[in-house]
Amino acid sequence: MSVLTETAAGTAVHEKDPRPSWAAVVALARFEARDLLRYLPVAATLLLYVGWTAWTLFHSKDGMDAYPALQDVDRDTQTGPLLLGIALFVCVNRCTLRSRRRGTDRQFDVLVMEPWRRTVAHVLSLVPFAAVTALVVLGEFTRQALRPGAVGHGSPAELAVGPLYVLLCGALGVLLARLVPTVFAAPVAVIGLVVLSVFVSAGTGGAEWSRWLSPVVDEVSGTTVLPSDLLGRPAAWHTLYLTGLILLVALGAVLASGGRGRYVQIGAAGALVLTLVGAVAQSRGVSPELAAARERASVTPQRDQSCVRRAGSTYCAFPEWTGRADDWARVVDRVRSLAGGTAARQPLLVRQRVEARYGLDGDSAIPALTTPGQVTVGTRWGGNRVPEFAVGVASVLVTGAESKGGELCDGRVVTVMWLVLGGSAQPLTDLADVRLDDSVTGSASVLAPTDGLSMSAAQTDVVRELLDRPRDEVTAAVRRNWTGLTAPGVTTARVAQLLGVKAPEGAKDCAGE
Amino acid sequence: MTTTVTASGLGLRYGGTRALDDVSLRLTPGVTGLLGPNGAGKTTLLRVLATAVPADRGSFTVLGHDPGTSRGRHQVRRSLGYLPQTPGLHPDFSAFEFVDYVAILKELTDRTARHREVRRVLEEVDLGDVRGRRIKKLSGGMRQRVALAAALVGDPGFLVLDEPTVGLDPEQRMRFRELIAGAGEGRTVLLSTHQTEDVAMLCHRVLVMARGRILFAGTPAELTARAAGRVWSSTERAPGAKAGWRTGTGSFRNVGDPPADAELLEPTLEDGYLLTLDDVSAEAAA
Repeated sequence: MSVLTETAAGTAVHEKDPRPSWAAVVALARFEARDLLRYLPVAATLLLYVGWTAWTLFHSKDGMDAYPALQDVDRDTQTGPLLLGIALFVCVNRCTLRSRRRGTDRQFDVLVMEPWRRTVAHVLSLVPFAAVTALVVLGEFTRQALRPGAVGHGSPAELAVGPLYVLLCGALGVLLARLVPTVFAAPVAVIGLVVLSVFVSAGTGGAEWSRWLSPVVDEVSGTTVLPSDLLGRPAAWHTLYLTGLILLVALGAVLASGGRGRYVQIGAAGALVLTLVGAVAQSRGVSPELAAARERASVTPQRDQSCVRRAGSTYCAFPEWTGRADDWARVVDRVRSLAGGTAARQPLLVRQRVEARYGLDGDSAIPALTTPGQVTVGTRWGGNRVPEFAVGVASVLVTGAESKGGELCDGRVVTVMWLVLGGSAQPLTDLADVRLDDSVTGSASVLAPTDGLSMSAAQTDVVRELLDRPRDEVTAAVRRNWTGLTAPGVTTARVAQLLGVKAPEGAKDCAGE
Repeated sequence: MTTTVTASGLGLRYGGTRALDDVSLRLTPGVTGLLGPNGAGKTTLLRVLATAVPADRGSFTVLGHDPGTSRGRHQVRRSLGYLPQTPGLHPDFSAFEFVDYVAILKELTDRTARHREVRRVLEEVDLGDVRGRRIKKLSGGMRQRVALAAALVGDPGFLVLDEPTVGLDPEQRMRFRELIAGAGEGRTVLLSTHQTEDVAMLCHRVLVMARGRILFAGTPAELTARAAGRVWSSTERAPGAKAGWRTGTGSFRNVGDPPADAELLEPTLEDGYLLTLDDVSAEAAA
């Protein structure tokens, strides 16, 4: 280490120490990091990233946002720093080429710090940006994890991808500067990499091995959030691959700038091994064990679930969702409280179900249960999913089995929808939420966890009419006429008549209007 | 006086050109001038001494360190301040930032002491008031002083200046002379220049180079003395003069071998320099 000391004359001079000073490399890295912040693309994308993340976290609506699945949240943190990474790639490349562009190479080449250690400083200057990214990722994840409705488990390996991506982009910028010493290379390389990734993806048909070569492999969950152990993402291997790649690129830049020391060469060889091990391991695809586990969770979920009883009904959920039974029970109790006959006391079995056989982004519908008294609930909750679940519950109470709910088109649809909406604090909002087209008039498809219903315009009119009347009055009418209202084939006109509502003229059930 | 820099038998070829040919020298504290025509090898010699390029042959030491070894080169660089002929600067940096950047590359790691040192050298080159100003907004003379400050930061024992006054107006040159004279107090300065006045005013010793060789090494007075009795005045340009030009008074000032009845003039260092170069040319031609 070299420090300045005061001489008798009052000036500062070196204390002579022949060893290279790593403290100086760190000091240079700090200087370079500060300089990077002066580049508009870096400052703007950093502000955008931090600002946008903060805004989305603190301005998220209730609804589904209030019930995050942490195995999705960890992955969602990976796309935020994409632009920051590109900005760093271009700007750190310019910083690395600064001496060459400004003709200071001649002066600097005779200074104590050799070019290869300056390259190390350029790579280290990226660490604060990776650290900020890590803080944002951590803040984002923690904020979601602290929501009362949060379920599931995040993966540290998935959370590490954002910061590692930032480091990788910057290291690539440094390496490019050392190999192609012109500032025009970086923007061209950005375009080239995008084009290359498109060609590779198209050429390999999105094969597992090529997909995972990309630093960020974003997969958006479909309608179903899978339990953590069924995700099948090789996140840990991918982290190893990224770490190896960063080291390989960084040490490649050091080698290219003259740092040919033994440790650098050994380190580069080690980084290459890490990268290859990670790349091979992450490309193995779905293991037979995972495929079997997915099959089991999709076909016989009861083998993986635990159940709790609430007010006579049973709620069975995958381990990560057992805490949500109370939310489901509240909906079941509300719907059942409006029913009549034996349905008002009918115990239900609420079964959480997933379709995991097609992987994370599979979007297959879940078939309805045929066993009487059983209701499906999905892995998402909040927002539209609450009235959708209520539709499933009401359908079973009215028809006896979930599979019969999807066939409903007669006047029983009115009873089902009354059970769904009658106890709601915002019935019209729920009506709009549960209909595919968000309408509150005319005909529409009604969503449910499995098979939905078809609601005719006349049925919508009757339901709207019922919602305008005093709730107790309608509830009493429903209980009084429960047998007639739930009789198969009952017409909408007859239902309207039984509930004391004006029957819509010319209404035809099931055959259309 | 203590010898701080010694070189022995330095040689360097660029293709077929012998840029340095058996150069030996000894430098002592103070300012040593290095004169020579374009292509004489001055910049090459400075770059070799500054460890920017290695010599093919020969050896040298700076303040007792041998740059032939990795450890020695490191030590030489710690003791070195180098101002190249056309110094580069980072125009988007402020003067302070640029000198601080160079100080970091010189491995001055203690931030407080380094910043104090940066402020000191900027004051020394009279840029204290504009240290926060971006370099692109500074005048040419100020930029040259920023480059000098960068060479001076860390208080190097050996300062190599390659034509630092080129392109400066007379006032700036005068100011620069003051700075170089100050820099030469207590340290060894090797100043390459085409300006013989700079050498006459600043240097306690002078080297003259041509064709990669040292032709003269001595004091400015000794170089001037080489022209004693070889400068004369005439009404017409003397036919045997090596050089001759009409002066402001209308008479001719001739340098060379005067006729017997010539009206001799007081020689200058430039006369000695011209005759030294001319003698070598004559030898080469012979």
